[in-house]
Amino acid sequence: MYVFKAAVIGAGTMGAEIAQVISLSGLPVLLKDVDPGQLARGLRHIEGIYERRVARGRMTQREAEDHLALVEGRLDYTGFGDVDLAIEAVPEKLELKQAVLRELEGSLPRTAIIATNTSALPVSEIAQGLAKPSRFLGLHFFFPASVMRLVEVIGGEATDDETIDSGVEFVEGIRRIPVRVKECPGFLVNRVLMAGLAEVFRAERDLGLTPPEIDAAVAASGLAPMGPYALADALGLDIAQDVSETLRAAYGDRFDLGGRIAGLIAEGKRGAKSGAGFYTYTG
Amino acid sequence: MANENEQELLDRFRYAVLLEAVRCLDEGVSSAREIDIAMRAGAGLPEGPLAAADQAGLDVVLGRLQELERRWGERFAPPRRLQDLVAAGRTGVAAGRGFLEY
Repeated sequence: MYVFKAAVIGAGTMGAEIAQVISLSGLPVLLKDVDPGQLARGLRHIEGIYERRVARGRMTQREAEDHLALVEGRLDYTGFGDVDLAIEAVPEKLELKQAVLRELEGSLPRTAIIATNTSALPVSEIAQGLAKPSRFLGLHFFFPASVMRLVEVIGGEATDDETIDSGVEFVEGIRRIPVRVKECPGFLVNRVLMAGLAEVFRAERDLGLTPPEIDAAVAASGLAPMGPYALADALGLDIAQDVSETLRAAYGDRFDLGGRIAGLIAEGKRGAKSGAGFYTYTG
Repeated sequence: MANENEQELLDRFRYAVLLEAVRCLDEGVSSAREIDIAMRAGAGLPEGPLAAADQAGLDVVLGRLQELERRWGERFAPPRRLQDLVAAGRTGVAAGRGFLEY
């Protein structure tokens, strides 16, 4: 199915980033939030991304304005009657997502595809309550979506093949890299990455190494672009903790972070976004 | 930092990632090719974990996992799929076939 118009529900950083990616591909996109302040911040975030593209010489001011004009903010479902594909990006609470999706489904054409951008909740559970779960799937963008190329395309139990194919085509159309992933806790990338992170935390303790030493060794080895501690800070320690708890509950203690992150979160250190995590960040 | 500890740390990270990737492969979460694409594009790894193992040689990987298992426990136990590949002579890039085909 060809997508002529898209929508993103939830104007937090992730929702705004996804809307920006869609607009950059030339597709009109509605960005909706229930909170006027959040919607304004989301739209401002998108503007900022385009301003930086212009400043870096990646597009002209005129091109940036044309792309930005493709994004329309909404506080209600006005204009959703001809949306072909909508992506839900509200906070990671199951009941909230289900309620938003039921409302969303009622405002879209019957043929529309609905996606969730969850990184931890089961797609099949989120789908419960939808009239047409066959047209529902997971499109898992990575943070920050304006930079990260991968999108995991995840079918739930009820998702039909055509919807998966349409999801893959849509992701290609917005110039991202789709990978088909069978539904499982943590999906693919976070699951594999968190297995590595948990092992690094165990090795830190067993081998008596410090985070800066480990990060320097990993970066120097060429094994990963940045050390695991810097990566966890960039991802957000609260997010890493949430994902790892989902993984540990599903697969067992190889995903146990040994309380390494919980203590920092208790001190308010949630990584780069909060100014401190394993490292301290200024400005 | 002692060089030996550094090597041990890198291998524990490398092989924890590889083993989870193999579990995903075994469970049919994604194909070998797509798992590697995902880890490169989604996690920024310069090389996919399965291709990296093929490059190192799966016989070498198998031997190192056996050492890690003895030292750190059964979470490093070599997966059946890896043992079968080595037994079948599919030891990676040099053999033309491993987790991926060359």
